[in-house]
Amino acid sequence: MQVNPVIEKELKTKMRGWKAPALISIYLGFLLTVIVLYFLFNNQMSYYGQGVFNPRVALNAYNTLAFFQLLLILFITPVLTGGSISSERERQTLDLLLCTDFSTFKIITGKIIVSIAHVMLLITASLPILGLVFLYGGIDLFDILLLFFFYIVVAIMVASFGTFYSTVFKKTIISIVATYLTIFIFSAVTAVALVVFYVLILNDHGTPSYSEFATFLFSNPFFGFGSIIENTTTRHSFFDIFTTLATGDSTEKIIIKSWMINSAFNIAVSSLLIFISARRIKPVK
Amino acid sequence: MLVIKDLVKNYGKFKAVDNLSLNIGKGHIYGFVGANGAGKTTTMRIVSGLLKATSGYVEVAGIDIRKNPILFKKKIGYMPDFFGVYDDLKVTEYMDFYSGIYGVAKSDRKAICDQLLELVNLTDKKDFYVDNLSRGMKQRLCLARSLIHNPDLLILDEPASGLDPRARIEMKEVLKGLRDMGKTILISSHILPELAELCTSIGIIEHGKMVVSGTVAEIMAKVSSKKTLRIKVLEDIAVLEKFLKEQPSINSMSVHNDYIDAEFTGENKDMVEILKGAITKGIPIISFNEVDRNLESVFINLITEGGGDKNAS
Ligand SMILES: Nc1ncnc2c1ncn2[C@@H]1O[C@H](COP(=O)(O)OP(=O)(O)O)[C@@H](O)[C@H]1O
Ligand SMILES: [Mg+2]
Repeated sequence: MQVNPVIEKELKTKMRGWKAPALISIYLGFLLTVIVLYFLFNNQMSYYGQGVFNPRVALNAYNTLAFFQLLLILFITPVLTGGSISSERERQTLDLLLCTDFSTFKIITGKIIVSIAHVMLLITASLPILGLVFLYGGIDLFDILLLFFFYIVVAIMVASFGTFYSTVFKKTIISIVATYLTIFIFSAVTAVALVVFYVLILNDHGTPSYSEFATFLFSNPFFGFGSIIENTTTRHSFFDIFTTLATGDSTEKIIIKSWMINSAFNIAVSSLLIFISARRIKPVK
Repeated sequence: MLVIKDLVKNYGKFKAVDNLSLNIGKGHIYGFVGANGAGKTTTMRIVSGLLKATSGYVEVAGIDIRKNPILFKKKIGYMPDFFGVYDDLKVTEYMDFYSGIYGVAKSDRKAICDQLLELVNLTDKKDFYVDNLSRGMKQRLCLARSLIHNPDLLILDEPASGLDPRARIEMKEVLKGLRDMGKTILISSHILPELAELCTSIGIIEHGKMVVSGTVAEIMAKVSSKKTLRIKVLEDIAVLEKFLKEQPSINSMSVHNDYIDAEFTGENKDMVEILKGAITKGIPIISFNEVDRNLESVFINLITEGGGDKNAS
């Protein structure tokens, strides 16, 4: 087995130049700003007063970081993948790949794996910041590993869309916008649909059941996110919204958690998109 | 080596390639000539597996493109008319990348790439970024890339287009090298002189149709019924002119100081008759011979006669 040359080449060239270090710096800069603002805000508002250690603050700091990191992944991955194929077309290098016996499936997966590697690099680079919070205690290593797994599955889904759109649209920018639009539909539009259905049609003002949430929000990354941070979320904090999505009105222990449903959807959709994309760029079918 | 039969490619209602057939034997260099828009690129992209034909049969080294497209692509090395390079790769990295794409084992790559860079005369540019190469060098690099998997058939779409004269000569030298190595090549051009001395066979395409096709010798023979006779006399050129005008096998002529170039259509025995007649008339002929027409003038002749595109030059 030899390494996919697409991956090898892109890893080499993507890390060259100023763009990759710039992206890492901006990424870390953003997360640091979030966490610093968070601590500033909480030290002043803290119920316990200044200088007193509050485990809730640490936990919510972790959740805040986890949440903003998810947002960043949703924002950055489309940019990393929107040009996978269209940039090869623009540069007139695609034909040079397609006239060989190299499989289009490997071209597509190569592009996606490279962007996931890039995302993983960003996540890994942010570990020290997360570690800062980790030191306060209250967070399992398992929670962090699960969070990373979830990030990667979400990134794969977004990257698959980005790459798929890149095979459809000639212009990279259009692929990026289309990917954002898809993310918007998966997250915001599903949430609105749920509210419309539940409040306006059923005229129910209570908390919907878990299965109702799941029916509407299976594609919603924030629905999956809810069960990822359920161990680190305290009642009545901001993040309680997400954990409520992940439990509904159920009081029993949920076995098929929201992250499982959402990840299963993401993996299924990604596989399908990879398959379609590989077929789309195959010149003679 | 390459067999194309009744190839058709329609873009909507427009026929870009119209029932085109051609055959290239092993070791032949086939010059594919035609004006811009004649359908050369379309044909070559089909043969490279980049475009699906509307109908027709394509076979390389005995492999039917439709039956085994993957094996087929292994047999072909393609250099497009327009191509790009990854600007952030060095020459060696570029070659290494495409070696990987062609499935060359890591351990064999360096030797193959060194050898190919030598062949296209880029050894001293090894550590340059591809982006910093001149256009001619990029073109030669792309040619080296198309040779990585040692293909049976090379398809070169206007390999010398857009190059300055010097780069053109360099490219031609490389192509001659390939010819001497016994490679089978399909090479296109919209400029005839570019191909004339390189090819063993020629096909002329117009509006998607093959107008003339065959070995250089065959094509020469096809037009050899029409020859230019150069008759040189000691004196009395006017007498010769008058005499030639009476000959049915002479169509036209241009009179010079001491010789006449006469357009002749007929067989060798007609030529003998003309010479005999002139001598019996007492015309003092110094020499009587057929002017060697080079391939280029033959083409121009063929194309203009075929009522072809004015762009074909
Ligand atoms: N994708 C396409 N869609 C429609 N027409 C095309 C397309 N590609 C080429 N053509 C037309 O087909 C004809 C042949 O083009 P081409 O094969 O590029 O000619 P050549 O290489 O001989 O200059 C041209 O008239 C061109 O406009
Ligand atoms: Mg062309």
